[in-house]
Amino acid sequence: MKCTADIDTRDVEELYINIDPIQAGGRLTVDAQKAAIAYSDGYSVCDNCRKPFRLDYIDKPPIADFHRDCAEWLNMDVVRLVPGARRGFQAVVSSIVEKGDPALVTALSHYTEFASLEQAGADIHEIPKDEHNHITAENAAARIEDVTRETGKTPSILFVEHVDYQYGNIHEVAGIAKVAHQYDIPVLLNGAYSVGIMPVDGKALGVDFVIGSGHKSMAAPAPSGLVATTDEYADIVFRTTQVKGDITGRTFGIKEVEMMGCTLMGVTAVGLVASFPAVKERVLHWDHEVKNSNTVADALCAVEGTLVESDMPREHTLTRINTVDSFNKVAEIHKKRGYFLSHSLKKNGIIGVIPGSTRVWKYNTYGLTDAQIGIVCEAFQDIARENKLNVS
Amino acid sequence: MSRRAVDALFQALYLLTDIRFILRETAPVHELDDEQKVRAGKAIEKLKKQVTILEEELS
Repeated sequence: MKCTADIDTRDVEELYINIDPIQAGGRLTVDAQKAAIAYSDGYSVCDNCRKPFRLDYIDKPPIADFHRDCAEWLNMDVVRLVPGARRGFQAVVSSIVEKGDPALVTALSHYTEFASLEQAGADIHEIPKDEHNHITAENAAARIEDVTRETGKTPSILFVEHVDYQYGNIHEVAGIAKVAHQYDIPVLLNGAYSVGIMPVDGKALGVDFVIGSGHKSMAAPAPSGLVATTDEYADIVFRTTQVKGDITGRTFGIKEVEMMGCTLMGVTAVGLVASFPAVKERVLHWDHEVKNSNTVADALCAVEGTLVESDMPREHTLTRINTVDSFNKVAEIHKKRGYFLSHSLKKNGIIGVIPGSTRVWKYNTYGLTDAQIGIVCEAFQDIARENKLNVS
Repeated sequence: MSRRAVDALFQALYLLTDIRFILRETAPVHELDDEQKVRAGKAIEKLKKQVTILEEELS
């Protein structure tokens, strides 16, 4: 079915169960879909923008309330909306990292964390993961010591992923933050895979910045995200413009430099705001999501030769699976080669596994109903049996 | 200006969105349980009323 002459209707969420690793938490809520219909035009949230003319002051739709409520919900002091988590990294780094400063990321950091630091000219160093694919306080402490000794400077920032994108493992954030603060290093939490799907308490974790992704985990349109910080850093990261035009003498009120004034001015902002009540509610049911994740992981592990490379039992819905000795053995002799798995899944009403992947791949069960979890488990095991793999 | 037509239009779109979400939560087989059937039925009935308003206002 066509949406326009050249654009297909995207109806995969209506026709299939989607287990794509990055799409699960960003599916809109019903309220966000309705708000998106009403606010689809460009500057749609600006109808009632009044002095001092800034996004976080808009009362109708209730964007100002959202900013206050979201900060409270994350147990941080101040929140701003940004066009994606990556723009949050960029805003923080641009505010507190100088050219040549050492900065710490981890062996599981996303490329956008690196890129934000590269853009600032930082001297980037990684904290290694341990043998269980975890970033630990012990490794962070050792790396801080090494980098400080090698460079003669204490790192200006330490990035840590709450949940990493490679394994979906939960990391030792509170311990790492405690260690970093002993060296006066501010800590940025990459919450792209946590904020909006599982409980996040910034103060309990002891971090200085929480970055969330609207389109990855807050049921919002892309690109959307947030930066949350403490009163200590709010005046630095959200500093207002001081510039004055040398001919016109113009000044620009309370526009924030790192936000480039306003950020999300239409469907992205209203989508985040509309989903927020449901998002706050859904994180309370995280245990059920984890249970469903384990149900699927167990069903896959019942296929002989299959290994979960993420932590087991699962503590998150994003999972990395190794099927080199199961589905990949089938791929070696199947007429569709590596495409047999995604093809067979699609025939069973399931999409989201990268076509051709039969070795190491990822999936995400977030937001599926119990009935859909059952269909996914049954499909993997049926496909295994059809291809002569043993299922225990 | 037909405020009534505009309200009916948006109400219809919102009801269709409710139906869209029933299709999402029951994908891929779309076998509705009793509660989902009741929800779908109510949404379709309300949708018919909004379409009737649109016919009245715009024809």
